[in-house]
Amino acid sequence: MSTLTAQSQAAAGPTPGRGRARQPRSRLARRRRRAGILLTLPAAAVVVALLGIPVGQAVYYSMTNWNGLTATWIGPGAYATALSDPTFWRVIENNALLLLSIPFAIGIPLGIAWLLHEHVRGWRFFRSVYFLPTAVSWVVIGMVAVQFFAQQGLMNKLLADVGLGSLQTNMLAGQRSALVALAITFIWSMLGTNTIIFLTGMATLDPTLIEAARVDGLNRRQIFWRVTFPLLRRFVQFSFVITVISAFSALFSLIFVMTSGGPGFGTTTLEFFVYQSAFALGQFGTGALYGIILFVIMIIVGLVQLRLIRSEDGEGW
Amino acid sequence: MTSHTAVVARRRVRTGTLFAIMCVIAVVMLYPFFYMLDNAFRNQAQFARQSGHSAVSWRLLFTQLPVWRELLNSTLICAISILLILAVSTTAGFAFAKLRYRGSGLVFLAVVAALMVPLQSIIIPEYVNLGKLGLINTYLGAILVYVALGTPFATFLMATYYRGISDDLIEAAVMDGLGYGRTFLRIALPLSWPALATVTVLQFIQIWDDLLVGLLFLQNPQQRTITVGLAALSSGRTTSIPVLMAGSFVSALPAITVYLIFQRHLVKGLTMGMGK
Amino acid sequence: MRRWSLVAGVAAAALLATACGSSASSGSGSTSSPVTLTIWHNYGTEQNATALQNLAKAFEKIHKNVTVNVVSQPATNYFALLQAAAVSKTGPDLAVMWTGLFTIQYKDFLTNLKGKIPAADFARIDPAALKWTSDRFNPANGPYVIPLENQFYIGFYNKADFAKAGVTSVPTDWSQLFAACKRLKAAGYLPFTYGNGGQPLGAEFYPWYDMSYMMIGQYPLSEWQKLYSGQIPWTAAANASQLSIWSKLKSQGCTNSDVLTKTNNLGDFESGKAAMIVDGTWDTQKFTSALGAKVAAFVPPFSSAPIKGVVDFSGDGLSMTTYAQHPTQALQFLEFMTTPQAARIINAAGLIPAIKGTSTTNPVNQEMLNFVSQDHMTAYPMLDNVVQPNVVNTGSKELPSVLNGSISPSAALASLQSTQGQLPASQRGTSYP
Repeated sequence: MSTLTAQSQAAAGPTPGRGRARQPRSRLARRRRRAGILLTLPAAAVVVALLGIPVGQAVYYSMTNWNGLTATWIGPGAYATALSDPTFWRVIENNALLLLSIPFAIGIPLGIAWLLHEHVRGWRFFRSVYFLPTAVSWVVIGMVAVQFFAQQGLMNKLLADVGLGSLQTNMLAGQRSALVALAITFIWSMLGTNTIIFLTGMATLDPTLIEAARVDGLNRRQIFWRVTFPLLRRFVQFSFVITVISAFSALFSLIFVMTSGGPGFGTTTLEFFVYQSAFALGQFGTGALYGIILFVIMIIVGLVQLRLIRSEDGEGW
Repeated sequence: MTSHTAVVARRRVRTGTLFAIMCVIAVVMLYPFFYMLDNAFRNQAQFARQSGHSAVSWRLLFTQLPVWRELLNSTLICAISILLILAVSTTAGFAFAKLRYRGSGLVFLAVVAALMVPLQSIIIPEYVNLGKLGLINTYLGAILVYVALGTPFATFLMATYYRGISDDLIEAAVMDGLGYGRTFLRIALPLSWPALATVTVLQFIQIWDDLLVGLLFLQNPQQRTITVGLAALSSGRTTSIPVLMAGSFVSALPAITVYLIFQRHLVKGLTMGMGK
Repeated sequence: MRRWSLVAGVAAAALLATACGSSASSGSGSTSSPVTLTIWHNYGTEQNATALQNLAKAFEKIHKNVTVNVVSQPATNYFALLQAAAVSKTGPDLAVMWTGLFTIQYKDFLTNLKGKIPAADFARIDPAALKWTSDRFNPANGPYVIPLENQFYIGFYNKADFAKAGVTSVPTDWSQLFAACKRLKAAGYLPFTYGNGGQPLGAEFYPWYDMSYMMIGQYPLSEWQKLYSGQIPWTAAANASQLSIWSKLKSQGCTNSDVLTKTNNLGDFESGKAAMIVDGTWDTQKFTSALGAKVAAFVPPFSSAPIKGVVDFSGDGLSMTTYAQHPTQALQFLEFMTTPQAARIINAAGLIPAIKGTSTTNPVNQEMLNFVSQDHMTAYPMLDNVVQPNVVNTGSKELPSVLNGSISPSAALASLQSTQGQLPASQRGTSYP
């Protein structure tokens, strides 16, 4: 699925706006309350009926052996079995390692946005171009990546051209190196989205602050780190949130085309593991189980992010 | 050389360097498009050798797949799904932002938490449920799933955006005699173009490129989307990659078009996710 | 009064018409009303697809009221799609199904054909083929799948390359193989090409062809069940030793260096650059078109003693779903698949029919048949069809790294062992399910 399944968790907190809902004292207040309920009903209904119920069913089926037609009950012991499977922990390890790529997935776009912000001639054209890869399907991105990292691929050719031929390697053949290749491709795919976010953020900056800093004698680099970056913090946090969510739940197609989770379990993330159990092995119960675990992990990660943002910002979302 | 000329010269060098760097980045970003097109104009043997070009793969694409039919299906499903998502999320977003009632905070939290639900875990139970309702192999079935998957994000985005509209504006309209419903339609909705554009572009890409839902819920080849159709190309033991590349390029065009149409609003819309 | 009876008559006629219409579409077996038979396959655009389409056309000529709708489903997720379609009963009348434990795994929605198809038709099919599609692999229990073709998973070699390199006899064991490799390498050829060409998009090298031959070299067919049950553990010393010799293929230069990821290994062989390849009958016609008389089949000699078995297996065929809307026509199609006319169509597509007594026109395919009929090699199934899916999955992931030299044979085998150990007892019994 797309990289922006969840745009911002930065504010998955209580209702936006001021204060708490007032008790319906006046006729107006009652009308507001009724309108509020009516208008939120469709969304709530859709979410409950088409997402909430299947989640509940998935919890049930996670404790069964299920092939779609017959479900034989196992019980909560299924979770114990799953959590004691060493392959599961290997998969979790992959997820954790993938998190190491997040700083790059944020830092590089920050730099690119800085470049664009200089408003060199043609920057709008470049801005459009940088977002275009988001429209390309994962299948194509994966295939290009496979060709790029191949033994006779572009990366090795470029290394040879710049004289670093000794570094040539077959990245997709090793478990760890394949994960690195996956991470690089993931970072590349997030460049467009994150660049747009930071560029937009920079556009909201008050230029007088920058001017004041320049008058104070700060050079370019100091201005960036001491003035621009702190003001962009909220955008960085926002981007951090979507990038992490993408890493955990939007890479399935990419992994499938690039490595199918291999070699070994080197590039199998929990999301891919869910797919594999359910679709490749036809064991829907096991797939549901790992899916619930993934769901819980993402909720926890979301809450942690929320906490971090709250404590830094002081102001709620 | 006066210091002024020096400064100007330095600035020109700097501008030139920046321009060069941006060009390099553009090449890196556009490389897959180049790869797609380059290989779409090869036949199987030329692809293996990575040299030579021919147009035969384009002909094969259109003979092996009902491309127009599948593009039509994809467009239909995307359009209806997005309209429904917008309908559901703008109303709810407005209400969560402006018309809070007791418990609306929890409902909002539940809707947003639904963002975390991974597709692969719920798709089979979803399939079983919709199967019981006879919605498999209907456009409606697939559309319902896409609407469900897109609503949490869209609602969240719309709620964030509407929060930015001043409460007084709303209250004034209500005081003037417009009901809340009409206030929403006549005042709030027209102001929310950036958010609408954002939702449209992002959901379009997500729904258009989806494979699993389309595969399971639209098993009939007549109803197949282009993404599933391309997957049928890469089945079996050999994939004709040039044909797949040609098909992928065709499939990427609508998404790019939608993006280019809405991109002005998109930039503004993304800002709203953070508040200011 | 008369008007009412007229109305009633018309209404009755209308009701009758709709009833007839709907019952025709639900397979009443009436031979005059038009019927659309739906078949799903995952063959993509390769030879099996051609064979199936031609069978469909021939069937339509015989049964003029039947239209056969052959649907190509994506190969990825094909079985999950079948499972889902069985749940909602929106699937086809006939579906391509893989044999061996795949059939057993999905038999919940497959019709047991015992008694549904005349015994005379079954008798025409190669009994070895029918065995692997029945419960407990006993054809008396009734097959679920009518095989489409007889497959050989086997080695191909380039006679011209061998001759130029001075390799005078085809290797039949490890030491002869390594010796041949040395000569081929000296003559400038790539002795053995490996890669993931011939696999679905994204997959890496598929190790189970080689693994089958290593196990053929080690154990007679009757012992293979012990690999399933665990009586012969995967970590047995014999297995480890064979795998470590196998991994020397790459380290001693017998193969290309990018064994896991090379996408063009088929092309290497077809161009004559590579002298040997492990592949199967689905590509024979490709090889004979590219290399003519220069290509021949040989049994991968992955054994310390001269190898005596070959993977001769019907890997896939058609089965009827339990919810088929047109069971009569579906069964007729399955019966048609056993006729000599069908055999000719399958042969014309470059495949070996699974029907007894048919010959094949492709000389290399005929060589393979001769291995069994004349050289009396034992016909083995493909190992991944008779081993639990979870174990196959682990093996697919770990075994390639053994060839690549990134992990040790004992580590990979230990993974297989541990996956097997985690299965419930019912899935590793002393007889097949």
